[in-house]
Parts: sequence; structure tokens; C-alpha cells
Amino acid sequence: MGALIQLRGLVKVYTRGGETLRVLDGLDLDLEAGGFYALMGPSGSGKTTLLNLVGGLDRADEGRIVVDGEDIAAMTGPELAEWRAEKVGFVFQGFNLIPVLTAQENVELPLLLTRLSRGQRKEHAKSALELVGLGDRRSHRPSQLSGGQEQRVAIARALVSDPMLVLADEPTGDLDRKSADDVLALLRLLNEKYGKTILMVTHDHAAAQQARTIVHLDKGGRLGRIEAVR
Amino acid sequence: MPPFQLVWRNLTKRKARFLLTAGSLAIAIFLLCLLRSLVVALEAGVKAAAADRLIVQSKVSLFVYLPQAYGTKIAAVEGVERVMRWNWFGGYYQDQGNFFAQFACDQDELQAIYPEIQLVDGSWDDFQRDRQACIVGEATASKYGFKVGDSVPIIGALFPKTDGTTWDFRVAGIYKSTKKNVDDATLFFHYKYLENALDSGEGSGPAGVGIFVVKMSPGADRTEVMSRIDAMFEQGPQVVQTTTEAEFQAQFVSMIGNVPLFVSSIGGGVMVAILLAALNTMLMAAREQTRDIGVLKALGFGDGVVAGVLLWQSLALCAFGGGAGILLAASTEDSVARMLGTVFPGYEVTAGTLWSAAGATLLVGLVAGVGPALRARGLSVIDALRRTG
Repeated sequence: MGALIQLRGLVKVYTRGGETLRVLDGLDLDLEAGGFYALMGPSGSGKTTLLNLVGGLDRADEGRIVVDGEDIAAMTGPELAEWRAEKVGFVFQGFNLIPVLTAQENVELPLLLTRLSRGQRKEHAKSALELVGLGDRRSHRPSQLSGGQEQRVAIARALVSDPMLVLADEPTGDLDRKSADDVLALLRLLNEKYGKTILMVTHDHAAAQQARTIVHLDKGGRLGRIEAVR
Repeated sequence: MPPFQLVWRNLTKRKARFLLTAGSLAIAIFLLCLLRSLVVALEAGVKAAAADRLIVQSKVSLFVYLPQAYGTKIAAVEGVERVMRWNWFGGYYQDQGNFFAQFACDQDELQAIYPEIQLVDGSWDDFQRDRQACIVGEATASKYGFKVGDSVPIIGALFPKTDGTTWDFRVAGIYKSTKKNVDDATLFFHYKYLENALDSGEGSGPAGVGIFVVKMSPGADRTEVMSRIDAMFEQGPQVVQTTTEAEFQAQFVSMIGNVPLFVSSIGGGVMVAILLAALNTMLMAAREQTRDIGVLKALGFGDGVVAGVLLWQSLALCAFGGGAGILLAASTEDSVARMLGTVFPGYEVTAGTLWSAAGATLLVGLVAGVGPALRARGLSVIDALRRTG
């Protein structure tokens, strides 16, 4: 498969309290379609920043981000929002489910941006929840679920609109080992069975071993080594 | 359009806060309707005043009486068709708390000059025949249980009986007015009953006529007729001022101050108070939902949709509270009218008042929601997701 994501000369600078911090410094990286990448590195190496830039949640100061042939750095805000809805699924460390909605409604949210009918949306969300093993928890609110279950709902939400790319920021960071393993197994399933390209930020070496490739970033946002795992 | 399920769930997430804010909005909007209705009631007489009726009163004051002889002279003025004497009686029924208006008038002119007074029980003939007969508005009749044939003793305050007894009237008819310039709470009786009692010394009080009510001939020029009447008495003994019925009614409204301004000031204060309550609620809600805003944006919802979630929450909150207030005002109209009774006749919650209240509700919803909505719109995904709540 060819490179799904091409990063060229990526620079991201934060200015806080008059101090300038260069988080990414001319990063070049190619990520192939169908890959499962774990992004590792010390604090301040720009892992989450990179994930946010690839997901179109943030803007780079310099450089190009080409995803599936589209330069997302050149997109306007509304174009980027539309692109995210269509192409990217997000899994966050803190789950980020909407607390007032049930599991089913949380998973249905991305589908509100599609042309699917209400019935189709419900059916898709139900299937996604069954896939993550929570078919019997559809009417539960996030507060009624365990951390592992919440993250599985978040994964169902990330995959329900069938995005080509799933971006996971420390998805196991708030979970116990057993729940973390369940979540990682799910991500592997998405990658291996459904062909989703996954980019996962993690500090956890065990979690990173579930990926196919580990991309190491050095402090200061430079590319370190790339390690094939499986 | 924003996901309305989310709008509704967020709105009712904190039930106590939602109910308290909506409740305060309901009370405030109810108060606005009440105040507006009082102004409408006050102004109704002015708006419904007949164009062919004039009022002749002393130029000095409404409380200076005019000579009886003026009636004949006014009747002779070109353009005048009918003239009726009209005196405020100012008595009360049994107890000073039982107040309703009583007027002595020329009973044989009343029906012709005031065609809007329609009897719903009894007869005009009976009213004309008996000097002690009276007709009573149905609101007063209903309040005190007066029926045709009943005796109504009135204690004279402005015109007391010299022997301390009551003025006794017999109900010859119950009327309902077809226009708002005449309320349904008044008692009309024969002018001659008052006049004879004063002449004979049976009663005491100011001599003379309070006002003359003039009905103009069809096609008569109002300004000219007014000028002719005023000119006729320019040399006294009492200089008069002739006004239209609308001006005369407006004079009463202005006697109790600039009521519309006063009521508008209270209404404005109420509006500001509910706006602050709604704004406070929306600011708290927006702060609590910051992370949700980030999630929605990350999922691909546009800035406008995300802003709409907050704006619709504000509008829905105000619609609930304001709607409840509007319903309360409409449903309690009869009860409030009964409570205000004959002291403040003509209380009515008009469609215009309800629409104004709906407009005020919408305005509060928009103003309270637009700030949080704009903030949500401008928030970056990263900043929003970084917030912990």
C-alpha cells in the first residue's frame, strides 16, 4: 500500500508567557494505509501535537500534511470539519463521551452529519456497539459504565462512520491492564479485520507492542527511529 | 440544525437549576402580562371612546360643578343633538370596601347617548318609570348578587343623606357594555332622584352638574361644536372646557400619573432581572459543556452547529419559562379580573399582550444565548478538549 499520510517539513511552535516552544521541528514522515502505528517519545516530543495536526484539530505553522491525497493544511475551517467527519475517528485518553447522552446516542452522534435516516443511524450505532461487545449497554449513560466500557463506546463512536483513519491519544492511559488489553484488542481488530489505519499515541510499551510499527519521536519534535513490531 | 436531543438533555441535566430559572422566567413573564394588561385596561376607555360624544366640564377643575342652566343652553348649540347631566355619586354598598362607581344621569337620555349599554336583564321602560330605579353592570351585579327587583342601599359619601340613612335604589336592569369605554361595573340612576333630594334637604352635597355629556348631530363638525360651546360660556359664571370623550378618558388615566411610563419602568426592571437570571444559567451551562463542545467539533460538527446547541438551549429555556408565564397569564385572566373586581374594571389579557410577552421571551432567549454561543463558536477544538469541565 502507498503512503496514506505524508508529513513534510512540519513545524509547530507554541508561545506561552512570552516563551517560544518549538514542539515539532521540520518533521518528515510517511504513514502507510492500513498501518497500525504507535507514536512514542518523551514528554514534549510532540506526539499529541502531531496527532492533532494529522486529525485536523490544530494547524501547523509550517509544512504540509497530505492525507489520502488532500492537503489538509490548505483547508478552511468548515472544510476541515467536514473532512474530519468523513475521514477520521478519534479515541481520546479521557474517553470524551457526552455525559448526558446514552452509549447508543453517543455512538450515533457522528452519523448526524451523514445522510442516513434515523432508523439507519440507530442500526449502525447498534452494530458498532455490538462489535465492541456493548450491545447490552446501549441505553447506559457514561456514568453508568466502567472506564474500559466507556473507552469501548468511544471506539464504537470512532468507527461508526467508517473512517479510513483512527487517531487514538493514550487510549489506555486511564485504564487498568485488563481493560487496556480489551481496548488494544479492539484497535487491532479494526486494523486487521476492517483495514483501518490507526495512529496511536502511547507511553505504554505493552500497548505499543500491539501496533505493527512504532514511530519514536525525540524531544524537540524530531523523528527518531522507526521500529517494525509485528 | 444542532442535535436537539443534546440540546434537551443539556437543558434538563441539572433539573433544579432548570426548574428554578424557568420558574423565575414564568413569574417574570406573568408579571409583564399583568402590568401590560393593567395599562391596556386603563387605555381601553380612551381607545374605545365614541367620536360623536363630547364632555363639557368646568375649565377650572373636574371638581368644580356647573350651573344646571347650562344644559338648556348647550342643547341649543348648533350641532348638538342631545345633552345629559352626569354626576359622580361616590357612595358605597354596606361597607367602604364595597366600592363601585355610581353615576346620577338623565335616565331618559342614557340609552340614546350610550347605545353600547345593553340590558341583559330587566327593561329600559322600568328604569325610566321609577325614580329610584337603577341599572347595574353585570360585573357588580354578579359580585354582590344583585338581581332585577332587588333593593340596593347605597351609603352616600359625597352626597350623604341628612338623616344618616341610605339612598335606596331598585335594580330595574342589568347591563353589559358592548364597548370598553363603559365598564360593566357601574350603577346608573336618575339624576332627578339626586336633584330632588338635594333641593328638599333630604340629602346634602355639592350643587350643580359634574359634567354634561353631549351627543353631536350626525355630520356635525366636532371642532366647531366644541368651540361654540366653549365660546358660549366664555364670560362665566363658570368657564367650561369641552373635550372629546377620548380626551376626557385620557384625563383620568393621567390623573394617576404617567401610568404607562411607570408600568414600563417596572416591566423594564423585570426584563433586566430575568435576562440576568437566564444569562447566568447559560454562562454556567456553557462552561460545563466546554469539553462537549470540543468533542462535537472534533467529530466534525461545524462552528455554527455547536453555537446553535447553546443558543437553542437558551431559547428552549426561555420558551419553557416564558411559555409557562404566558399560559399562567391567560389562564388566570378571569381570576385576576375577579380579584381586581369593580375597583379596576376591564382587566383583560389581550392577544397583543400575549404576543408582546412571547416577543420579550424570545428576546431574552436570544440575548442570553448569543454570548455563550459566540464563545462556543470561537473556541478551538484543542482548547475546548483541554478544559476539565
